[in-house]
Amino acid sequence: MMEKDRIIAGLSNLVGAENVLTDSTALSVYECDGATLFKAYPDVVVFAESTEQVSNIVKLANKHSVPFVARGGGTGLSGGMLSVNGGIIIALNRMDRILEIDLRNQRAVVEPGVVNLLLTQAVEDRGYYFAPDPSSQKACTIGGNIAENSGGPHTLKYGVTTDHVLGLEAVLPDGEIVEFGGYVEETPGYDLRGLMIGCEGTFGIVTKAIVRMLRKPEAYQTLLGVFETIDEASSAVSSIIGAGMVPAALEMMDSLVIKTVEEAFHWGFPLDAGAVLIVELDGIKAGMQHQAERITEIFNAHNCREIHHAKDETDRQNIWKSRKSAFGSFGRLAPSYITQDGVVPRTQLPKVLRRVAEISEKYSIPIANVFHAGDGNIHPVVLFNERDPDQCKRVDAVNLEILAACAEAGGTITGEHGIGVEKMDYMPLIYGPEDLAVMIKVRDIFNPSGLCNPGKIFPTAESYAKLGMEYPAV
Amino acid sequence: MLKMAEPVTKQLCNDLSQIVGETGVLSNHQLGLYAVDDITPKAVVFPDSIREIKDVLIYAAENALSVIPAGSGTKLAIGNPPEKVDLVVSTKRLNEVIEYEPGDLTVTAQAGVRLCGLQEKLAENGQFLPLDPPYATHATVGGIAAVNSSGPSSLSYGTSRNRVLGMQVVLSSGTDVKSGGKVVKNVAGYDLNKLYIGSFGTLGIITELTFKLNPLPEVQRTILVPFSSIAQASTVAVEIANSQLLPIFLNLIVGGVPSVEIVDPCLVIGLDGHPETVEWQINQLQSIVNQNGASGVEVYDGVHQRNLRTSIAAFPERKPQTVICRVNLRLTDVEKFITAAITHGDDLRGLRVTGHMGTGVVYVSFSIPSNDTAFAQLASTVIAGLRDFACDVGGNLIVESAPRSIKQQIDTWGQIGSGLKLMKQIKARLDPLNLLNPGRYVSGI
Repeated sequence: MMEKDRIIAGLSNLVGAENVLTDSTALSVYECDGATLFKAYPDVVVFAESTEQVSNIVKLANKHSVPFVARGGGTGLSGGMLSVNGGIIIALNRMDRILEIDLRNQRAVVEPGVVNLLLTQAVEDRGYYFAPDPSSQKACTIGGNIAENSGGPHTLKYGVTTDHVLGLEAVLPDGEIVEFGGYVEETPGYDLRGLMIGCEGTFGIVTKAIVRMLRKPEAYQTLLGVFETIDEASSAVSSIIGAGMVPAALEMMDSLVIKTVEEAFHWGFPLDAGAVLIVELDGIKAGMQHQAERITEIFNAHNCREIHHAKDETDRQNIWKSRKSAFGSFGRLAPSYITQDGVVPRTQLPKVLRRVAEISEKYSIPIANVFHAGDGNIHPVVLFNERDPDQCKRVDAVNLEILAACAEAGGTITGEHGIGVEKMDYMPLIYGPEDLAVMIKVRDIFNPSGLCNPGKIFPTAESYAKLGMEYPAV
Repeated sequence: MLKMAEPVTKQLCNDLSQIVGETGVLSNHQLGLYAVDDITPKAVVFPDSIREIKDVLIYAAENALSVIPAGSGTKLAIGNPPEKVDLVVSTKRLNEVIEYEPGDLTVTAQAGVRLCGLQEKLAENGQFLPLDPPYATHATVGGIAAVNSSGPSSLSYGTSRNRVLGMQVVLSSGTDVKSGGKVVKNVAGYDLNKLYIGSFGTLGIITELTFKLNPLPEVQRTILVPFSSIAQASTVAVEIANSQLLPIFLNLIVGGVPSVEIVDPCLVIGLDGHPETVEWQINQLQSIVNQNGASGVEVYDGVHQRNLRTSIAAFPERKPQTVICRVNLRLTDVEKFITAAITHGDDLRGLRVTGHMGTGVVYVSFSIPSNDTAFAQLASTVIAGLRDFACDVGGNLIVESAPRSIKQQIDTWGQIGSGLKLMKQIKARLDPLNLLNPGRYVSGI
C-alpha cells in the first residue's frame, strides 16, 4: 500500500469512508477559498463531526507526517486554508451545532462550523445577536471568523471577533484537546484565547467556542449620502468623528463601485456620483434623532448632493444589501480581481486614496474602492485578467505599492482578511525581523512539527528578495 | 518587620548609575517603598529610554539578577511571593505621549504615562481613554495593561484587551519588539498584544502602547437605587443588564464603598450619553425598579456624582493588611456568591463586596489584624471556600492583594486549566533565564 492509501484507509477507519473525499473532481472544490487566484490541491478532504474525531485525524496526520489544515465555509480572502504542500483538509462544516444558548448570561456555545448569520438568526426573535458581521456572513463560519479574527462593517463601534469570543476548545497540532479562556469574563494566566484568535489556523483547530451575545439595539438610523468626490465624503467622515460621534458603521463606495453595483442591482444610485457614504447609528431611540440631524448637517456642509434616510427596516436592509453585494458585482468589470485590505489612520484616508488612484493610473489597472471608512480599512479591488501575463505582472506591482503606501502612512497590510499565502511576501513592510522572530517562536511552541497549516503568514527568502530587502539573519 | 535584603553593594549601584545615570537609581533609604511581599529590592532603577531598559535587562541577565517590572508601583501586591527580588525596573520616567491625532481616535504613549495625566490631555479634544482602574491617579498606562487592570466601566468599554492596538515590548533578552500597530483594525501576524496584556511583567517590559479612544459623553448621571435585600437588587440588576438600557457600569454594592456613605445594599448605575438618551434611561430604570417593588431612584450629578464615581472606581482600596479577591462568575451566579461571602461578615472585619453586574466580576475585600496567625488561618480557609464555590460554577477567584501570612497558605491565582503546559513553554521560550518576576505568576511561572 502506498503511504497515501494508508492515510486514506486510516481516515476512513476514523470517520467512515463516506466522509472522506479523494476523487479529484470533488477535491477541486477545496483547491481555493475566496481568494481564487491562489490554488493548491489537497490529497484528501475529511469531514469531522466531533472534537474527538478532529483529534484522531490530527494524530493520524502526525503519525504519517502529513500536513493538515481546517476549513469552514471556504470564504476566506487570503488563501488561509490552502493545503500548500498537499495533505489533509479537515472540513468542519458538519460540526455546525449551536450547543447552548444562555441569553440571561449573554452567552452561546457553538461548534466551529456554525454559519455566522445562523447564530444571529437563532436568537434575534429574543432580541439578541452576534456582533461580528463579515460581508460573507451568510456563508462564513464562526470557526473561520475565529481563525482570521474577522471584522465587518460594524467593527467601528463593536470591535472584531476577538472582542466577542470568551472561551475556546481546541485541538492542538499534536492532537491534544485543550480549553482556553472560559464562560466567564476573564480567567487567570496568559490569554491563550486571545492569542489563538487570528492565528490563521496555525496554532491548532478550534472545535468549540463560547461567544458573547449582545442585546439587539432598540433602534437604528441609516443614512446614505451621495457625494461628488471621495475627498468630500472622506472629510465628512472626519467631521462626524470630530463631532464626538461613534456611529455603528461608516462605509464608503467609490464611483466605480457605485456604477457596477447600480448596473447589477438597480438600487437607484446616480451613475455619475463620486462617492457614497453609509452611516448607521444604533442604540437607544431617545436622542438618536439629534445625531441623525447632526450627520445630515455634516453631509450638507460637505456638498452632499443627495441624502437617503432609511425609512424602515426593509429600506435599511436594502442599503446594506447594496453595500454587501458590491463584491458579487465585480465579475462584471473584469475576469479576475484581488481585494486588498490595508488599514490607515483615519485622517490619512484622503491621501492614501489619492495614492491608490495614482497607482491605478500608473499601471493602467482599474481599481474600485469599497471600504470601512470609519476604521480606515480600505478594500481597493484590483481588476484584471489573470490570463494576461503582462497584466499579472503589473498587478503584482500595484499590490506592492498599495500596501507600501498603507504601511508608510502608519497603517497595516490587512485589517480583517488575514495574511494567509496572499500577503506573506509583504509582512516585512510592517514587521522587522525581531518582531517576526517572536511570532515564529510562539508558533513553534504550539506547532513544533509545522504540520498544522504550513506555508502561511511568514515571509520567505523570496519575499525579501521581491521587496528588494536583505534576508535577515534572525 | 521588613525582611531586609543583603546590604546593597556599592558595585551594583555604580554599575546601574552607568546605565541609567545617578538620578535614575533610587537612593538606598527609599528602597522599602518598592518592597514586594515584604522583600526589599537590592535596587530600584528608572530608565528613561528604551535603550536604557535594554541595557538594564542585559545587565540583569549577565549578573543573574531577578527583575520586577513596575510603573508607579500600585500593583506590586499582586501575585505569589516572589522567589527573589533583586532589581525593580520602573517605567515611570518613560512618560511622553508620542503621537496623538484626535481625528484618528487613537493615542500612542510611553508606558510610564499616568492615566490621569493622559486623560487631561485627551479631554482638551473631547476624548478619553475609557479605562477606570483602581489607583487612577497614580497608575501608569503600561502598568494597567501589564496587569489588565480594569474598573466598573469595563461593562461598556471592555479592558486593555479591547483597547490596546499595539505595543513595544523589551523582552528579557534585551530585544525590542513590536506587536500590533497604530490602526484600529489589524490582523497582520499574531495578536501578541493579548499575550503581553495581563502577563504581569513575566514576559517583557512594555515600553509603549497605542490605545483606541472614545469621545467624551455629553452628559453623565449616576443613579443610586437602595434595596431591602441582595436578592432583590440582583434580580433588578440582571434585568437591567438584559434590557435596552446601556449603562456604563452597573454595580451591586454590599457593605459600602470607601469615602462616601451609601445605603446597603444598593445598585449604583452610570448613564452617559446624549441628554435625551440619559433621561429616557432614568425613566426606564425607575419603572424597572418600581415593578420589582423597590423604593425609588436617586439621581446624582455634579460634585456628588464625581465623588460617588471616584469612590466606586477606587474600590477595593489596596492598603496594608487588606485582602482583595477578584472573582469572575456568570452573571446569574453573582447573587448566590455574594450571599455566601457575606455569611462570613462576623469573622472578617470590614467585609465589603461589589458585584459588577453585566461582566460578572465581583470584588471581595476585608482587613485583617497584623501578626494574627490564627486570623490569617481563618481568612485563608474562607478564601479557599469562596474559591471552591466560584470554581464549582465555572468561575474563578484571584487573590489580588493579601499579607504574606495569607499568601503563604493559599495560591493567589488558583488552578489553571489545560492551557498551563503551553503557558509554561511560552514563559520558558520568551524568558529562558527566568529573570522576570520569577515565581509570582500562575503555577509558579
